[in-house]
This record gives sequence, structure tokens and C-alpha cells, in this order.
Amino acid sequence: MTDRPPQRLSPLTPLVRSFIVLVAAGTTVIRDVTRGDIGPTAALLALLLFAGGVYGAASWLRTTFWIESDELRVDTGVLSRQSRRIRIDRLQGVDIVQPFVARILGLAELRMDVAGGNAREGSLAYLPLPEARRLKDLLLARRDELGEPRRVATQTQAGPVGAQPGPVQAGPGPAADGSTEVAAPPQVAVRPAAYERPIAKVEVPTLLLSILLSGETVALVLVTVGMLVAFTASGEWLGLPAILPVLLGFGVAMFRRFSMNYGFTVSETPAGMQVRRGLFDLSSQTIALERVQGVVVSEPLFWRALGWARLDVSIAGYGTGLDNEGPAPSTVLPVGDRRTVHGLARHVLHGLDHETVALRPVPSRARWAAPVAYRFLRVGADERLVVSREGWLTRRTHAAPQARVQSLRITQGPWQRRLGLADVHTDSPPGPTTVRARHRDAAEARRLFDAEVAMTAWARRR
Amino acid sequence: MDDLFAPPGNDWRPVSPQLRRLRHLVLTGFTAVVLVALAVVSWMFALPVVWTAALAVVLLLLAGFGWWVIGRNARAWGYAERDDDLYIKHGALFRELVSVPYGRMQFVDITAGPLEQLFGIASVRLHTASPRTNARIPGLPADEAARLRDRLTELGESQAAGL
Repeated sequence: MTDRPPQRLSPLTPLVRSFIVLVAAGTTVIRDVTRGDIGPTAALLALLLFAGGVYGAASWLRTTFWIESDELRVDTGVLSRQSRRIRIDRLQGVDIVQPFVARILGLAELRMDVAGGNAREGSLAYLPLPEARRLKDLLLARRDELGEPRRVATQTQAGPVGAQPGPVQAGPGPAADGSTEVAAPPQVAVRPAAYERPIAKVEVPTLLLSILLSGETVALVLVTVGMLVAFTASGEWLGLPAILPVLLGFGVAMFRRFSMNYGFTVSETPAGMQVRRGLFDLSSQTIALERVQGVVVSEPLFWRALGWARLDVSIAGYGTGLDNEGPAPSTVLPVGDRRTVHGLARHVLHGLDHETVALRPVPSRARWAAPVAYRFLRVGADERLVVSREGWLTRRTHAAPQARVQSLRITQGPWQRRLGLADVHTDSPPGPTTVRARHRDAAEARRLFDAEVAMTAWARRR
Repeated sequence: MDDLFAPPGNDWRPVSPQLRRLRHLVLTGFTAVVLVALAVVSWMFALPVVWTAALAVVLLLLAGFGWWVIGRNARAWGYAERDDDLYIKHGALFRELVSVPYGRMQFVDITAGPLEQLFGIASVRLHTASPRTNARIPGLPADEAARLRDRLTELGESQAAGL
């Protein structure tokens, strides 16, 4: 494909960017001018406007973008220069956004949805709307052209437990946004929703009991009892009105947890795993299994006696979506017995079993770095999964497939160095999963790091 | 250099000594400004000379410590290009070793502030799908930065792995 010469943004860009300031400053200046005298404020503002104008023009002049050898290149910056290269086949989607002022002027911002970058980082603002549309189509067409062979490869590796051959939806993110939908790769027709196999369901008594046994409730009860004792002992009930709103707040939060997770059902559909829940606001969410980056199994102290656990997953693209979605729903099962959670975790991880990975404790000198937590730190890896566990009040087991690990890090602070300890981190896309080996013996940390480098490389190539 | 941060195979490539010079210059400038401000303030409020001198000494000691830390930190930076991944290590007090597979790269940035341009250096940053990936190399000579970026994007394309 032909490379195009460097292009500039719309010359109106500085105007749109500083519209509010311009209006505010402009009105002040004009008011003063019409009144006949230019006060010091107006003079200063006029000067600032002029300087801003010069900067805006320079910024416009110095910002260019062009497409070259499958990359979108953006050079920008007046004093501090930045040159960015975005690989087109890495684009998850392209959105056109039109803030109010830009819309009046017929301009639009082109937002590149690049995994790992936030919305501001992959953005071209502002372009004339038709130009933005053209560039979007061009980028997406080019991406699909480049990405075709790889997408097939990712599809074949997605094999859920029910061995149906997978027209798996290489899905659009959770965004209900129309333009993101367009950005999704052409889909194979998804079979009717009739094919739906329930996997797990949370019963109401279980949910209620799980909320009652959560750490927050126990803390609440302890605080209340403490307060009551204090009040009766001192004979003064004056503090009660101050406490009541707090208690009410706790109550509302608990009820929200209940209503959010009421009727929680997990089922399997051709498009992926479907999660439905809600008492008042029903929500239904489909998790494309090939986008799962890792899982977290949480076991709060009081649940362990009952053998209960909770399952959360990290899904690519959920953490980086547009800001208006709030916290990403990551829970696959809010409460369930250990066997169900284990089975679901295996399902989500394409049959990989995190419980077969042998976990090793840390050396006892780690107590000087983490006096309580060191007893509960565990890590382990095999050629498919890397798993870590930490926490006593809530025991959390994080597991990520080796093939999904983005990068690896060793960190060591001065105190750790004295103790001969180090941390090993595996970096995953944004989500609840963070597999990390804290306070390992330094030599073991480097061995783990080297082994991880080799195993992740091997897993990527498969 | 201990085993934990040993280079993978061959040696670490250091960053340009210009990085150290730049930071030393910034430190010197900053110290000078603070010293002048101190002199002005003590003159305006007619502070006892002993106080001013003591403060100046403390300041100079701090600056000296900063000078030493900058040198140590600049020497600690290193990177190594391997077949499949880029290794970066940095930090003298809080040390870090990063391995970023080329196939995981989402995009690459080169940034150079005004002072950095003056010193002929730039920093290269790799972004993966994880915001926790901390893969930045500051203080590369400008042409080396461009070379590294081109090599990284090229390798990234040939080894690209799906999310």
C-alpha cells in the first residue's frame, strides 16, 4: 500500500482546545475595550491570548502524522519533542469522538484504542469529520489486512470444555458504543442463543450468608458492639446520632452487593461465557474466553470454613475502555463452593488447572520484610500457568497463562537487598490479576525470572 | 554487580554519559537558584549570617549527595537487545530488571525535552498491553534512540503475538 505524506491536523485545533479559556478571556477583554479603557488585567489577558495563539500555531505546525510501513506515526511537541509509532495491526478499534465545540466547527477527534495506552495517548485531535472518517476506515481496513493470519491462529487455540468447533466471537469489547462495534473484525454468524448450557448459579441463601460472613460485616458488628459497650459503660447515648448514618451506609452497601449479585447465573453460549445478574438492574455480560488474561480466586477467612470462594477474571480491553463505564465488572462467580469455582476457573483458562501447580513458600528471613504476610506468600509455575498466592484475611490465588504474560520484572529495594530477597512481577493487562512473587530468595528470583522468560517465549510461539 | 541483575549473556549497554551531565547541570542550576533565593531572603530580613551560612552548608551537602546519587543512578542504567526480548535494568537504591518481549509491544515512543535536545539525547519507551510494564530507557544518543526504535518496531512486527 502506498505511504502517504505527513499530514497536519485541522488548523482550527488550537481554537477548539482552548475554547473555554478563549471565551472567558475574550469577553473580559472585549468588555474592557468597549468600556474604553484597557486595564492592566485586560492587557495581561490580551498578552496571554497572544502568547497562547503563538503556542497553538507552533503546536499545530509541529504536529504531523503519517502512515508508513504498517505504522501510524505521530510527531508532536513544540519544545519537548515526541515521536510515537503505533502499529496498525495492534489497533483494537478506532473511535470518532466529537466534543461540543469541535462539533460546531465540523471537527472530530480520532481515538485509537491501543491496548496499554490510555485514551489520550492514541488520539488525533482534531481532524475535519470526513477526513477523520476516511482515516478511520483506512486504518481499520489496513489492520484487518495485516491481522488476518494471526486472528485465525488465536481462534484455533480457543477450545472451551464443551468441544464445539469454535466460531468464537473475536469479540468487541464491552463498549456498547456503535463505533467500537464497527471496529470489530468481521464475525462468523453466531449461532442462535438457544444453545446455552448453564454452568453455575448462586442461590439466594448462599449469597446472603456470604455477605453476612464477609470481612466488612464482621468489622461492622465488632464496631457496633464496641460502641454499645462504650455507650452503656459511660451512660451517655449522645454519640448515637453520629453513628447511625455510618451504620446506614454500611447497610446500603451490603444491600447493593446483594442486589447486584442477585440471581447470578453463569452459562455457556457459542459467543463465550455469559454472566447474568441483578435484582433491579439486570445485567448480562458475555466473556469471550480467548480474551481472558488471568483469574483470581479469593477466599475470605470466614468463607474458608465453609469451603467457599469467589472468582474474578481479567479480560483484555476491559480496563482500558472509555472512561464512562465505571469499574469493569470482572466477577465470574461472587460466591460458590471450592469445586465449582475451581471448575469455572479451569473452564475460563481453557482447561488449565491452577491447583496442579506446586506452590513454594518464601525463606523464613522474609519475615523481616513482611512480618505477618510472609507466612502466606506462595508462588509456582509450570509450562502453561504461573500462579501466586498471598493474604491471610482474604487468601487470593492469582493465576495467569504463560501465553498471556506481557512482560516480566524483578524489583529489589535496599532493605530487601540486605536480606538477599527480591520480587518478581509478571505484568498483565489491566484487571484484577497480578501474579507476583514477593520476597523470594534473590538467586531463586533470578532463576524464576529466567525460567519465566523462556516459558513465556515458548508459550507465545505455540 | 550482583547475580540478581547480571546481564543476560553479553554485557549491559550503558546509556550516554550526557544523561549524567544533563542531570548534574539541572541540579547545579537548581542549587544555584535556591542559594541566591536564600541570600536574598536573609538580606531582606536581616537574618544572622551564621544561620544563612549553616543553611547554605546544609544545602550544599544535600546537593553533593544529589550529585553522587545522580552519578550512581546514571551508571545503573543498562539495556540488552536479545533475540526475542529487550532487557532493561536501572536504579541504584531501588533496582529493577525488566524483560519485554518484542512481540508484546503495542507502540514505541521517543521523547526529548528541550534540555535533552540540547544534550543530544532522547528517551525511548515501549508500551505493552499492560500499563505496569516499565520499559523506558532515558539518555540514549539521538541516533541510537532512532535506531533502537526502528529495530524494535521491526522486530515487533515479525514476532507479533496476539493478546
